[in-house]
Amino acid sequence: MATRVVKVDREKYRRAAGPFGAKAFLAGFRVTAGHFFRNLRGWLIGKPSVATVMFPEEDLVKPPAFRGMPVLVEMENGKERCVACGLCEWACPVDCIHIEPGETEDEVERYPQVFDIDMSRCMYCGLCEEACPEEAIVMSERVEISAFTRAGTLWRKKDLLMPVADLTRRLEHIRRDYDRR
Amino acid sequence: MLPVSRRNSYLVRCAIIMSDEAASSDKADGSVRLSIDGREIVTKEGQMLLQAALDNGIEIPHYCYHPKLSIDGSCRMCQVKVEGERKLAISCNAPVREGMVVDTQCAEVEEARRGVMELLLVNHPLDCPICDQAGECFLQDYSAGYGSAHARTSEARRKGVKRHPIGERVIFDQERCILCRRCVRFTQEVTKTDELRVFGIGDHSHIGTMPDAPLDNDYSVNVADICPVGALLSSDFHHKRRVWFLEDSESICPSCSQGCNVNLGTFRNEIQRIVPRRNDEVNETWMCDRGRLRYAFTSDETRIREARVQEAGEAPRPIPLSEALDKAATLLASARIEPNSVALLASAHLTNEESFRLATLAADNLAESNVLLPIETGPADGFLIQEERAPNGRGAREMGLIPRGMDLQALWAAIADGTVKTLYVIGSDLLKIIETDQLSDELAKLDALIVQDSNESPLTAIATVVLPGLTFAEKDGSFTNYNGRVQRIRRALEPTAGLLSDGEIFAGLEARLSGNPERPFSAAATLEEIADSVAGYAGMSFASLGSMGVPVAGGQEPAPSPSGGARVPQAGET
Repeated sequence: MATRVVKVDREKYRRAAGPFGAKAFLAGFRVTAGHFFRNLRGWLIGKPSVATVMFPEEDLVKPPAFRGMPVLVEMENGKERCVACGLCEWACPVDCIHIEPGETEDEVERYPQVFDIDMSRCMYCGLCEEACPEEAIVMSERVEISAFTRAGTLWRKKDLLMPVADLTRRLEHIRRDYDRR
Repeated sequence: MLPVSRRNSYLVRCAIIMSDEAASSDKADGSVRLSIDGREIVTKEGQMLLQAALDNGIEIPHYCYHPKLSIDGSCRMCQVKVEGERKLAISCNAPVREGMVVDTQCAEVEEARRGVMELLLVNHPLDCPICDQAGECFLQDYSAGYGSAHARTSEARRKGVKRHPIGERVIFDQERCILCRRCVRFTQEVTKTDELRVFGIGDHSHIGTMPDAPLDNDYSVNVADICPVGALLSSDFHHKRRVWFLEDSESICPSCSQGCNVNLGTFRNEIQRIVPRRNDEVNETWMCDRGRLRYAFTSDETRIREARVQEAGEAPRPIPLSEALDKAATLLASARIEPNSVALLASAHLTNEESFRLATLAADNLAESNVLLPIETGPADGFLIQEERAPNGRGAREMGLIPRGMDLQALWAAIADGTVKTLYVIGSDLLKIIETDQLSDELAKLDALIVQDSNESPLTAIATVVLPGLTFAEKDGSFTNYNGRVQRIRRALEPTAGLLSDGEIFAGLEARLSGNPERPFSAAATLEEIADSVAGYAGMSFASLGSMGVPVAGGQEPAPSPSGGARVPQAGET
């Protein structure tokens, strides 16, 4: 085919942009100003439509499958559900869990005297949660694990306990997810 | 053929099969050739099929069978298909026959195993997360192959007593028991103390003891070894550590001269438990409670982890080991000018290799000094507990550590009157023979007390020089048991950095006393020296000792069977 030659009127576009490009500038400014006032109005009347999350005052909404740091489920009576069976310790691919079992006089005869997680090693894979036969360790939504010293990255049992009421969403998710066949 | 009805023909065939004529081998040597899963197995006449299979590495699942207990035939887990027989046979009680063809993998056998598993799992509690047996549990292991993840029953499981101290050192859980009766047979046949029995009948059967007669004998924890599930557990190991974290090392118990073969289970450089290892020539599959539970000393706060010196009038202070060796050598060198004033108290806790090296040291550099070998003794019980309560009395003597000069009573008097002025003591057995609570007064006249030991004792507290030794768990070497069996011990724990083995200490002293360059100590090389020079030890090496040990040539009575006939004395009897 022969090449078609089109004459482009570049002058038309140069004129449309206005003197020193003022008209083009105003067009763009109108877009951003429009967004600004729309957002301002939304913020003032309490119905914002922006996706920006004002962290850390607000927190991201995480989906149920989200894996944050592992925590120990604290039952209503204040005790951990964990029986120190050691399966999470064994399952952990980076050996970040250390447990010392102990004996109780209660009906459940075994409990963790020591339950340490080296959070700097933890890779948030969730294998501990999957291995646990008691729903005693779950991946929470928490991700704030920073510390000022390396020693501060070692979480003890008391640091890891989280009330079961705060973990219902995750517990429901893992019951659905792990029991799938 | 006798005319028989179809209903009886099976019984008749069994009778013929079980008769002597068919069962005996047609070979002069009594060997029997049979086939298991297509593999040809050769075994001895009179053997049971299960044992023949296990001996040849063929796994047939079982609970109630144990090679050192009578045959029970109650669990029905070892059923296999024998060609020509209409029903499955329990292999634990099926004598091998020439030409037998056995299938352990066919569908019928698998269905039988699944049936047994299902019935056991109906009432078995879901205790795995809290049960110590996890990881070495027969029920768990067979569940993987033959268990079912879902129960077909919906009734509540039966309840029983849980974590009941059935004996001082054993905990019992009735709900976990599968009634294999191994424990009952143990107390009936091995210890002959009859504490454990089956009470009740049928579905209400349960293991228990008579009131006021708890499980109380010197071998009680063996029932925890043989229990296939977590119904009988060692109190000492209860909730201590998951077994998959344990590193296992073969060793020999150091608590008496029986030399029971053991496995040390260690974690993070500490012994978590000791369990017996099978050796049909020494301890079969058993060990006594005393030896089993005596291991804390290897890593507790009484361990000596650095050398010390205590000059006259000053407090003891730690010093580098090489300095301590210098000091000890100086003391011995000046003392041996007056030979009779030196006494060497060797130890029956030293290995053969260390004893050999010490004997050389004593002969070359401490000639004419007194040599003693104090060994703690106690009553032998006719089963596994021997008189000498140290692992290597016989080995020490055969390596040349033969007492010469004064005996212990004479020595004690000689110390009191100042004749003996320098003591070099290894270990602390001396204190178990001479009981005193005025040790420092009685030894006050000594110029020098050199003590080499792994743990603190009243001797190390007053010693001039303390040389830190190693425990049996931290050395490679060999012990010779009372009956002349030479058995290996292996290093299972890493000693504190900088510590030397007792043999290396002897090498260091020898170099300083003789003025010659140090001839380094190596246990393996020393054993080869022993093989070349000590009668009865020819040809021995660590490799030849292996896991089962080797008897000293010509120097022992035939190994008595520990459980053959002897009855364990009750408390109060002699």
